[in-house]
Amino acid sequence: MDKQITTRVAVISCTDWQAVAAQCELNSRKQWFDAVAVLHAQRVVARTAYAASQGVQIGMRRREAQSVCPELHIATNNPERDRLMFESVVRAVSELVPLVEVSTPGVILLATRGPSRYVGGDEILAQRLHGITYDALALLADGRPIAFGVGIADGRLTALVAAHAAHASADRYVVVEPGESARCLAQLPVSVLADFAEIDRDVVSLLHRLGLSCLGDLVAMKPSDLVGRFGPVGLEVHRLSCGFDRHPPITIAPPPERASTHRFELSVEDINVVVATARQVADELVTHLSNQGVSCVRLHVCMQTDHGEQSDRLWYQPEGLTAAAMAERVRWQMEAWIATRGLTSGVVLLRYSPVGLRAREGRQLGLWGGSTQADEWAARTVERLTTMLGADAVRVAQWRGGRDVSEAFALTPAAVVDMERRAETVVVKEAAWSGALPTPSPSIVYDEPLLAVVNDASGCVVSVSGRHELNAAPAQVVIGQHVYTVMSWAGPWPVEERWWDPLRQRRAVRMQMVLERHGDTSVRTATHAVVMVLEHGEWWMTARYG
Amino acid sequence: MSDSLPVAKALEPIIPDGVLVRGRTVLCSGDAAMSTALLMASAPTQAGSWLAVVGVSDFGLVSACEQGVALQRTVLVTPTSNKKDWTSTVAAVADGFDVVMLEVPREVSESDARRIQTRIQARRNVLVLVETSRHATRRSVFQPDVVLHTMTTKWDGIEHGAGYVQGRLVDVTVSGRRVPRATQHVLQHVG
Repeated sequence: MDKQITTRVAVISCTDWQAVAAQCELNSRKQWFDAVAVLHAQRVVARTAYAASQGVQIGMRRREAQSVCPELHIATNNPERDRLMFESVVRAVSELVPLVEVSTPGVILLATRGPSRYVGGDEILAQRLHGITYDALALLADGRPIAFGVGIADGRLTALVAAHAAHASADRYVVVEPGESARCLAQLPVSVLADFAEIDRDVVSLLHRLGLSCLGDLVAMKPSDLVGRFGPVGLEVHRLSCGFDRHPPITIAPPPERASTHRFELSVEDINVVVATARQVADELVTHLSNQGVSCVRLHVCMQTDHGEQSDRLWYQPEGLTAAAMAERVRWQMEAWIATRGLTSGVVLLRYSPVGLRAREGRQLGLWGGSTQADEWAARTVERLTTMLGADAVRVAQWRGGRDVSEAFALTPAAVVDMERRAETVVVKEAAWSGALPTPSPSIVYDEPLLAVVNDASGCVVSVSGRHELNAAPAQVVIGQHVYTVMSWAGPWPVEERWWDPLRQRRAVRMQMVLERHGDTSVRTATHAVVMVLEHGEWWMTARYG
Repeated sequence: MSDSLPVAKALEPIIPDGVLVRGRTVLCSGDAAMSTALLMASAPTQAGSWLAVVGVSDFGLVSACEQGVALQRTVLVTPTSNKKDWTSTVAAVADGFDVVMLEVPREVSESDARRIQTRIQARRNVLVLVETSRHATRRSVFQPDVVLHTMTTKWDGIEHGAGYVQGRLVDVTVSGRRVPRATQHVLQHVG
């Protein structure tokens, strides 16, 4: 491949930021927990270093996590909290380097060319960044140490890997000398592509199975072979392995009116008004860019107030930012700005400057058929709702499979799904899983299962032996304040998952029970069919035939 | 745009007029509220309408799929807990979806409910309210055109330690503004 220019970047990375943010928020309420895990959709998505050392892993269920680490404090997922907590770090860093990029809370990227020359070299810059971040985090956690890493290298991927390496080891920072990126990456397993460059895990797993286990193997391949096997992704993984950016930078002369600026006639204080306007401006910009055949991957958003305060931030999205995504970034930036009390009056100016462009992979519409009016309306409404509520509040279902009704469908944000095309795909329950409950399935599946006590006729707790046999027939169920009589029951059906993996294995039994409210003297009493699960000696009501 | 949306075969004799008339509000309550609401949404989504499920906690996706709801035309929306935002969210949803399924939070006032119903009538959608037993004690702030109150009388297939839940018999009491005299029906439900 011909000579490529890659920008030299510095990365400050605090992995599992969600858990650290939750920990810091608890600390602000004068509570301190060493072991904190953040749960999303009943799975651990982040945990603190101490919890990790106790064996809490990403992807565990609540009960598994609590069984390996009993003192674990569980926090709910809250992207807003993550962003706002991180803002104090970002603000501290932007006092040294004004323009930084925060693509996800917990990771700051910045171009080092200017700052390095200003402070006198990459080493000194890394030291300064480390010091600033350390002080900012210490302020959040009242001086308790929070692990993070600083990395400087050519290209995003190498810098992220370097920062992560610095985090994992005791080093404070890792600086990869210019031109050394490819050599530094060559030894690493291909899984870093999924961890740090958002390459699909299926692709990474396939690469691994094809015998390409480290990035050096990918560099040795001819790009044309990779493209032949994987399509456009093949070229991307090759570029990444060589230490370049994922997409070739566009070198043609930029369109003359690239930046789009909106001046408000009166200063606007309402964030919703700013975001709504931002959406309109973004629409124009995206249309303009797509007419040129490009989409924007890095966007510089600049806002100014009446009193001359200014907020600059870079945003990055490897797939290209849509208009809704741009407006959402404006909302985040403005919320952070308000939270840090950086602005004292209304906004008068909003400017988008697309700084990173990539060729747009156009979409060929069907000649006939295709989307209907209803599909278009729905797609438009979904975009609007995403702008109003955030991407995580508007979701669509995707079949994933599983024995549990709660995990058979995954919910993905509608913003990342092509809504106008979605109606053509069919989302169906595929072949029944062995070990799943027989159909019909319960129509109410509790997000938070209810703890229950199941007793037999003599008032003793019902348990199940190692051979999945009940010790007594269930007669009574107590859930919270309510007592129910068991009218009929079926099961127990064993669930044994991943018995080969000591950390992620799951052993439980499921039962169906028909319950009637105890002591209900009215003529017609309602009966409820429910699904009860016994796991780790505790009964839970997980679903109801509502 | 036609005046009505189709309704599942099992519900045809139960729903007044045998179709879902656009602009109307249907309330499903009782212990089989959720599955009745899912059954109601199945035929319209299969015929090409979109369904928005707003704030329905514990929505059983597998069951929805089994009852015939076309999940490729279903979007799940989680509104913020803020009351003002809730109303504007539902109003925004009504702009783009034919069928809006809603679980009404406790703090919604009657005037908000009236505003939403006016919006539904103007946009000619169908509003399906689901009242799971959690807030069943409270009188509805909405003025539903049709109320389906359900009560399971018999569970099929499950015995003392044998079988599994295969179906059920549900007594449905139909009332509401558009129903001059309340009627009783028996519905053979699968979910």
